Parts: sequence; C-alpha cells; structure tokens
Amino acid sequence: MLLTSTNEIKDNGMERILNFFRKKSLWMLHYCTGCGAVELPPTMTSRWDMERFGMGPMATPRQADLLLITGYLSVKSLKRVIYTYEQMQEPKWVIAFGSCPINGGIYYDSYSVINRLALYMPVDLSIEGCMPRPEAIIDGFTKLMKAIEKGEAVGYKKYRENYEWYKANQRNVLERTSAVLKEEA
Amino acid sequence: MVNIMLRFLFAAFTSIIMGLLFMGIGRKFIARIRRHYAGPFYQSFIDVIKLFSKKSISHNWIMDFGVMMGFAGIIATIIFMPIGPFNVFSQMQGNIIIIIYFMTIGYLGMAMGVAASGNPNATIGIARALTLMLGYEIPFVLTVILLVFANNSSLLQVMVVNQQGGFMEWNAIRYPFAFLAALIALQGMLGEQPFDAMIAPSEIASGPMVELSGKFLGFGFLQHAAQIFLETGIIVNMFLGGSQNFFIFFAKQLALYLLTVAVSGIFPRYRFEDAVKFFWMAPTALAAIQLIIFII
Amino acid sequence: MEQREIILKIKENFSKSEVKVFDEKQFSVFADKDDIVRILSFMQMIGFQQLAIISAVDWIDEKKFELVYNLFSYTHIQQVLVKTKIERDNPKIQSVMNLWEVAQMYERDVHEFFGIEFSGNDDMRPLILHNWKDKPPMRKDFDSLKYSNEIYGTFKKSEEV
Repeated sequence: MLLTSTNEIKDNGMERILNFFRKKSLWMLHYCTGCGAVELPPTMTSRWDMERFGMGPMATPRQADLLLITGYLSVKSLKRVIYTYEQMQEPKWVIAFGSCPINGGIYYDSYSVINRLALYMPVDLSIEGCMPRPEAIIDGFTKLMKAIEKGEAVGYKKYRENYEWYKANQRNVLERTSAVLKEEA
Repeated sequence: MVNIMLRFLFAAFTSIIMGLLFMGIGRKFIARIRRHYAGPFYQSFIDVIKLFSKKSISHNWIMDFGVMMGFAGIIATIIFMPIGPFNVFSQMQGNIIIIIYFMTIGYLGMAMGVAASGNPNATIGIARALTLMLGYEIPFVLTVILLVFANNSSLLQVMVVNQQGGFMEWNAIRYPFAFLAALIALQGMLGEQPFDAMIAPSEIASGPMVELSGKFLGFGFLQHAAQIFLETGIIVNMFLGGSQNFFIFFAKQLALYLLTVAVSGIFPRYRFEDAVKFFWMAPTALAAIQLIIFII
Repeated sequence: MEQREIILKIKENFSKSEVKVFDEKQFSVFADKDDIVRILSFMQMIGFQQLAIISAVDWIDEKKFELVYNLFSYTHIQQVLVKTKIERDNPKIQSVMNLWEVAQMYERDVHEFFGIEFSGNDDMRPLILHNWKDKPPMRKDFDSLKYSNEIYGTFKKSEEV
C-alpha cells in the first residue's frame, strides 16, 4: 500500500504564493497515443481557446509543467511515459484523459494495454469520458487550477514519498521474469 | 561610479520590463489575428516568475555559464543604445559598430550554453540560428554603412539628431529601400516567422531551448525580452527618428514590434538554407540599391 | 493477363490446389503445405511482385494454423490470397525470405503472435510486444481477460492509489 496518502501532503507558506503564478501558467506536454489527441487541437485553437488560462503546448518535457496522457497506454508506451515524467522538472502534474487510464476502458481485457495509470504514476486529475469533449477538458483544467491554488495537487510529492511503491508496480509490468498465467497441464 | 551603476540598472530593468510587456501585448495581438483571446497582457511576467520558481537541471558548469553569458551579452549591448533621451554613458552616444559587435555575444553565449546541454536537437537549432545570423547581418550591415556615410558618423545619437524636425526627415522616408531591408533583417533577428527555422517546435523540439528547464528557460525568456527591446530600439533610433520622450520612444518600438508580429502571424516558415538565400537576395539587393542611389 | 488465364495456369501447374474466386480482381488459392514455396515462387514469376502481408489464423478445433500470404500484382491488377494449413502443435514452415526480402519482418511478426517457426529465417527477436514471457497472445487458447486482470489489476473504487 501507499506509505503516504494525498491527504497527508499539502503545500504551505511560500509554495502557496508561488502556486498563484504556477496555476496561471501551465505549460503542457501532451502524450498523444490515444484518441484524445484529436480533442486537443480544438481546445488549443480559437474555438475553445485554452490560452485564456495561460496554458499552451510545449515541445519538450524539460519545459513542461503538465503531462497529458490522452487515452490508452500500452506497456511499451508506459515505459516512455515514465521516462518523460521523470524528465519533467518539479512542480509537475499529470492529467489522464478518458476511461482507458482509469479502468482500461474498452481495452479492459487487452493483453498489452494497462488498466490503471494511477498504479504507475501519480495522477492529479482524471477526466472521464470516451473521449471527453473540449468543454469537459476545459472544466478539468479549471478544477486542476483550483486544486493547485489550494495546495492539494501534490502528485509529484506523492511520487517522491512513495517512490519505492511506484517503482515496484512499474517493475511488475515492465521487467517481469516469468510467465503470468500458469500452463494447465 | 554609483551613478553609472544606477544608470546601468535602470537601462537593464527598463529593457527587461518593457520587453516582457511587448511580448505580452504581441501575444494578445497575434491572438486577435487568429481570432481568439489569449491571456492577459501581463502573461509573460507570470510565466517568468513561474519559471524561476521551478526546479531546474544543469548538465555542467558551461551550461550555467553559457546561459548567463547569453543574457549578459544582450544586457551589455543595451548599455550602448540610446533609450529615448537616456544614455548609460553620456560620452558614448551609441556607436552602432560596437552594438553590432556586442550583439553576437548574446547568440554565442546561448550557443555555448545549449551546446553544452548535449542534446542533438539543441545543437541543430543553434547551428541554424548562427547560420541565419550570417544571413541577416549582411543586409543589416549594408544599411548601417549607408547611414554611416549619410550622417558622416557612426553614433546613433548623431543619426537621431539629424532626423529631427517632423517625420519627413526620418531616414525611413529618406531611404525607404534601406528601411525595408532593415525591417526584413529585424524579422530574422527576432526569429519570427518566416525565419523561425531554429525554433521549429514540432520538428526539432524548440531547438536551442530543448534542454532548458526552470530558471534556464527563465533566463532565455528574459534574454528574448531584452532582445526585442534592443533590436526594435536600434531600428527606431536608426530610421524612425528616435525620440526625446520615453513614452514616444516606447510607442514607436511597440508599433515596430507589432508589425513584425503581424507578419509572423500570417506566414509559414522558410527552411533555413532558403531563408539565408532569401536574405542574401532580396533585402541585400534592396540595401545595395539604396546605397547606389545614395552614392549617385 | 486476365484472371481466368492466371487461374488456368495455376491449375495446369498445381493440379492439387483449390481456387476460389471472390470477384474479378480477387481470388484465393489453397495449396498444400509442401507446395507452398513452389507456388509462391511461381506466382512471383508470373507477375505478382508484391508480398503485402503474411497473416495467420488459429483454427483451434481443427488443431491447425492457416497461413495467408497476401500477394498483389501491378501488371495484372490482381490480388491473391495464397493459403495453406499446418499442424497446430510444433508448427513449422519453410521461410519465403529468399523470394521477398520483406518476408523477414512479416515472419518475425507471425512468429511473435502465433509462435510459428519459419525454417531459414534466423532472426526471430521480439518485434512488438514488451518483455513477453507467456504463450503467444493471438492463439485462441490464450485467455486475454485473465491475463489482463492478473497483471494490470481490476478496478476497485474504494482503494486509493
């Protein structure tokens, strides 16, 4: 189990002041393997205009604050997502799009697609839907901003505190050494 | 001594604050061209504060040093530029030769810093930026030569004085071809479209900035802001008559910046070798024609 | 060449093969396991230049794997599926790497997902799956749901992660 749960960690003091600036300038990196990628261009451009909130797409993980997992993740891309997440500089947040990163979605029985993203990295916010419309996405972003302002969006601290737990989960999927299903004789 | 320090600090802070403000207004402006709203005009300030509040990763001391040198190079150049009626050194009235010489330090510092980060995309990006610099320097230097001949002096202050007395006296009206060449060169200097092949976010992942995080990117931001202020300031002094009033000077700079932003808002980008070719053909020809007209 | 002529030629040379016509541009040839390399090289000779894909079907009740070679001809504008069946336990077949070089990748793919061996093709490193230790996943007796629940977990609402 988790050593430290989300309720035990909170931002305080100076962090709260800086959070005011952080929430107004969220630069995002979108990991586009899933179908959610197609919902992002209308959210970014003039129809829904995400730039109103000071958000914008960034090219590399080094520059970004917010990682968007837009849709299902296969095991092979999970590895890349973890690399990407660990390259990002703190403070950083993760948003999972759609049902697939929550419980597997339509890939619940697939042998190559993970079911719960939250087991492998800290997800600050999940936007449900298959796929969420841009309205839902904007709604999710504003909720995340409120959480950042209150100092409740502390996924990156949770990842640091429970690093061993997350690593064990990742290793279980990525580096296993024996077959999962026993052969019936 | 203290006096000089204070004057220097004033110049540095003015350039950064005005540059960030111009950036914010430019973003708002380009958003309206593309029919959306964009953030508030002070968005760039928020971005910079956020960037300095983030953790950042440094690969070696050359990277730290290079990024600082890039920022310092641009700030050092601003010492030599007359800001409206204000000069940091009252005896050195903006020698244009020194300015051109110093301006490259900013790029070289940035090149050193990002090349030390070890990311191949950064190296490609900075190689493109330096190649592009060779491109726009030639038409720009030709217009400088023209103005130095015409004013019999290489001091920006003298050029400003010679342009006093209504806008018909401005070099932009007297030498329209050279002004056009300088505008195109300015587009390249600021790295706006169609000359932004060095940044190219989807192709080489934002080029020089690829490995910069937190405060390094913050310094990159400040450098870009100061660069906007510096380069528009030079053109305003050279062609648009400078000003004896700070606010008119800033307004002229802003107008010039919004012009480049408007152009960048509607253009795709050149490949960098095509951009260099373009610089060596069209604006160079314009500047050369103006020089020939002047000599005759 | 018309489709009719092509089919006649195939019948002439390989009397045992069964031909099934879908429409004027598509037909399939069912050949014996031992004939497969000869019939494929014959098809290549009469103008089927492209090997589009190699695919496999698991007929678990018959205890057979069906291999499907999807060929296309740019000269005759014809598509043909050349099929053959092999035994399900210890499946093994001759590689067609020397006819089409691209077959190397396709065979590697089929090997990864069905566990079929191709003699003559030595490079069978894993291609798509990440660190796969179980039986090949496209076989009908592989329980995907059970595997998924076992390793990726099921959703429990009460548990905080």
